[in-house]
Amino acid sequence: MSLMLGPFEDGELEPNEMQEVAFHLARCDSCTKALGAYSALGRELRTLTPAPQLAGFSATVIARIDKLPQPIWNRVARFFGRGSDFVGSGFAWSSAVAAVAVVTAVLITPYAEEFASRRLPYASSTLARVEHTATALPEKLAQNATGEAARLAAERDAEAVASSDSHAVISRLESDIPSVAVWSEPRTDTTVIWLPDQP
Amino acid sequence: MRNASRQDGDEAELIERSRKGDSESFGILVERYQRRVVGVALAVVHNQDDAIELAQETFIRAFENLSKFESRSSFSTWLYRIAANLAIDFWRREGRHVVLHGEDADNEISRLPSAHGDSFKEVSRSELSERLKKALEQLTPEHRAVILLREVEGLSYDEISDVLQCPRGTVMSRLHYAREHLRGILKDVGGD
Repeated sequence: MSLMLGPFEDGELEPNEMQEVAFHLARCDSCTKALGAYSALGRELRTLTPAPQLAGFSATVIARIDKLPQPIWNRVARFFGRGSDFVGSGFAWSSAVAAVAVVTAVLITPYAEEFASRRLPYASSTLARVEHTATALPEKLAQNATGEAARLAAERDAEAVASSDSHAVISRLESDIPSVAVWSEPRTDTTVIWLPDQP
Repeated sequence: MRNASRQDGDEAELIERSRKGDSESFGILVERYQRRVVGVALAVVHNQDDAIELAQETFIRAFENLSKFESRSSFSTWLYRIAANLAIDFWRREGRHVVLHGEDADNEISRLPSAHGDSFKEVSRSELSERLKKALEQLTPEHRAVILLREVEGLSYDEISDVLQCPRGTVMSRLHYAREHLRGILKDVGGD
């Protein structure tokens, strides 16, 4: 029972236990005295412990806190917070957005230019046409020319076409003679007759 | 400047502002809990100057670790726990007190002019206070903290358990032990 006297004094027992202790106290002098002593002890301890002198306590704490190194995000937040006190939050936000926009433009512009140049429709179709010509022409020349020289010439010409102006398109091959290649170049408005060297 | 509306501001908002580095908001929290935090430290170290220094350190640690504070426990309990841990560490580190355990403590405390002899009835109140202080100092910091947190600070058993990070049953047994060893001093004189 003595173990329950303290919690009884503190009101920390379950209701049925409180009732049990109360019934016991009604007929037990020693437990009643012990309970009185607990109560007196509490009063003495409260008297014994004076209220601490706390004048200037919080100011000291804040002064010590203000001397602590602050994380960078807190300093930035506090800067804009202070700015908004004086100028208004609109200006602070505008400044922040402008700063982000400038940084973004500086970082992204070179990449944006490169990206745009790759994506122009005219440029892409021209490249496609040149590539097509460069791959299709040697095959056709090879069909018409029987000799090794003709094939080499066709390859050389194909390379020349591919590496030169992208508008240089060979419109057609006209020769029926296997050892002779004839084609038209519309850009220069000329017809080219190619004869291999005679052995 | 602080004003009444800010002082009455919601605690969660004050904590959130403090997390962002607003020391003025944290100052409001300091003023709100300073007395109790000092009380918790005082319960362990039993020296007012040390307790105030430890309480300041408690608030600084709390400010630095606000990001770790989760709302599972109340802010006040979190503060008291920091204070209790700092105070117990300090008390152990300083090691300038004589701590008596078990039988030694029983013997020493029984030599105090508690229930034995009529002379104790003549003990003055100030002398009684001195003896009570001495008896408190002879308790371990854990036992002293439990009884002072309960009797002086008025914390519940669950709060003490949370602050000192020990089971509720341990709180009850420590409290019983501390009371039994201190009540003898008041047996004759304090029976008023």
